[in-house]
Amino acid sequence: MKNINREEILLPNHLACPGCGASLSMRLALKALGRRTMIVIPACCWTVINGPLGKNYAGVPVFHTAFETTAAVASGIKASLNRQGKNDITVMGWAGDGGTFDIGLQALSGAAERNEDIIYVCYDNEAYMNTGVQRSSATPFGAETTTTPSPYTKVRPKKNLMEIAAAHEVPYIASATLAYPKDLIKKFDKAKNTRGFKLIHLFSPCPPGHKSREDQTVNISKLSVETGIFPLYEIEDGEYKLSKKPKFSDIREYLSLQGRFKHITDEQINTINKNIEKRWERLNKRFV
Amino acid sequence: MSKNIMLGGNDAVALAAKQSFVDVVSAYPITPQTSIIEKIANYIADGAIDTTFIKVESEHSAMAAAIGASVSGSRVFTATSSQGLLLMHEVLHWASGARLPIVMANANRAVAPPWSIWAESTDSLSQRDTGWIQIYVSNAQEAYDFTIMGFRIAEKVLFPAMICMDGFLLTHTKEPVKIFDDEEIADFIKVKEPRKILDTYKPEAFGALAFPNDYMKIKAAQHNNMVSGIENIKEIMGEFNRLYGRNYSSIDIYGDENAEVSIVTIGTLAETAHLTVDKLNKEGIGCKLVNLHILRPFPKEDLQKALSASKHIVVFDRNISHGKGGIIKDETAGGLGLSNVIGFVCGLGGFDVTDDDMARAVRGVVNGTIKEDSIIGAEL
Repeated sequence: MKNINREEILLPNHLACPGCGASLSMRLALKALGRRTMIVIPACCWTVINGPLGKNYAGVPVFHTAFETTAAVASGIKASLNRQGKNDITVMGWAGDGGTFDIGLQALSGAAERNEDIIYVCYDNEAYMNTGVQRSSATPFGAETTTTPSPYTKVRPKKNLMEIAAAHEVPYIASATLAYPKDLIKKFDKAKNTRGFKLIHLFSPCPPGHKSREDQTVNISKLSVETGIFPLYEIEDGEYKLSKKPKFSDIREYLSLQGRFKHITDEQINTINKNIEKRWERLNKRFV
Repeated sequence: MSKNIMLGGNDAVALAAKQSFVDVVSAYPITPQTSIIEKIANYIADGAIDTTFIKVESEHSAMAAAIGASVSGSRVFTATSSQGLLLMHEVLHWASGARLPIVMANANRAVAPPWSIWAESTDSLSQRDTGWIQIYVSNAQEAYDFTIMGFRIAEKVLFPAMICMDGFLLTHTKEPVKIFDDEEIADFIKVKEPRKILDTYKPEAFGALAFPNDYMKIKAAQHNNMVSGIENIKEIMGEFNRLYGRNYSSIDIYGDENAEVSIVTIGTLAETAHLTVDKLNKEGIGCKLVNLHILRPFPKEDLQKALSASKHIVVFDRNISHGKGGIIKDETAGGLGLSNVIGFVCGLGGFDVTDDDMARAVRGVVNGTIKEDSIIGAEL
């Protein structure tokens, strides 16, 4: 792994909440991608973070677009750039979990099936945070949101985005999270240098939405991996590669740092543990 | 050299797109638009054009990909119809708000339920307020000419342009069309206006959140630019006329300009109305046809001039706004503040409308037996 680029492309005065995982993730992603990058941003927190009219804190060109159109707009930009010989520009879709798991899934599937030469990034904070924390299909089992208030917390597990992407047989799929910056940057670097469709799934802690302390973002990100809740791996041309072996540490620490799990019962904790076990049983069969 | 060949409306549009050096096409199939995009796919397969065709998974993505391609500097074409156009609704606003000169052909088709694949213009008229230039054509020649002009118009005014033509009646009916050689049209179509596109050397954000003060100004400018755009559209039509001798205007008048009765319509109904005008004139009812080509921007002055001396204005609408009536009738009466306008909704879902049907309606208005808007063809 080469040294991390010291240049900061993301401007420091962006409008993210303190402790925002999505802004930290963008900072790291742009270090890998560089200035010859264009970003498509649908309705999501980053619509706000990037600044109002006249501002552009990302530091590279940004096209703000409709909620469900990220992958399609990025496809159009890439096709257009290629025709003009601007093949060296990286086109990245940067969407939240609502814009990816839910409303944008169709366009995402279309772009993946066409193997569009774009990087699709989902910064996943596990609910509609920008609209005030409503559940999405990325919200985990047992989490409270404003539309899944206790005791009616989410009863279904989180949708498996990585496997949905894998079903499209695209060149590169990876999960990453900001507590492992070198791993994250390495994956963006690999995505940048791979032709065809790339998906990167980022777990992105959100202090106001997860009801966590602003100084716990990195810790929560780290615990999501150590507990086995958020597996870090790559799927390169169908080949599964584990990035970080979890310790399978007690999930209670991870849950206790987040107010969204404050009403969680022992029975629900058992269910989460069983889900982690099942997930890893399936995953372990795939790693080479 | 120009030559005459037999072409359906769809063929004419596809040929026009081919000759317009389109960089990117993104489209999704829907009846009766399909033969446009099939033809373009064949042009590409045959090496006849150098165009990238993004075969998207929905009309919503067709327009979204068109937006992406356009905002990064390409000339973009797409085509759709009915349900597909309606699915695009949200992104139609996005294309116009982002001031992207995308050209789209729409095969006017009825809207379900019940299912219907036949002609009706409710689909595109219900997109009237999306900020697109809307052009309605009546025959394959106009479909060809306006598609070519559409690119120049859109790029001049910096709004997307929708070329609307009746499904099957026009899209699939073969007619003689005078087409250009590629070289002949190149001088006209190769002109490209400079515009702002995504640029890594000038990293800006497009479409960021605007607070009320900015939003209000931007939207007012959008309206004002569209209103004044009618002059730019006329300039392009004038250039087309000077080069090729084909004279178009925002409206097309057939018959005696000073006639007592004016029929107003759009699309293929105008072709039928020619016969009605001839028939009524023979009967001694002075009658002319005003065929609206450009609906947005609304050609207020031209229409006002054409209709100011009319005693009776009779509008035929192959479309309906439920609870109000024909949309072109409403545009005509409301847009000009006229009270002597009677509207007839007809031909919905491809229901046949003859010159006799129209003549009967006009006679009724002239002799005073018909005083209210009505629907014809649905008599039980």
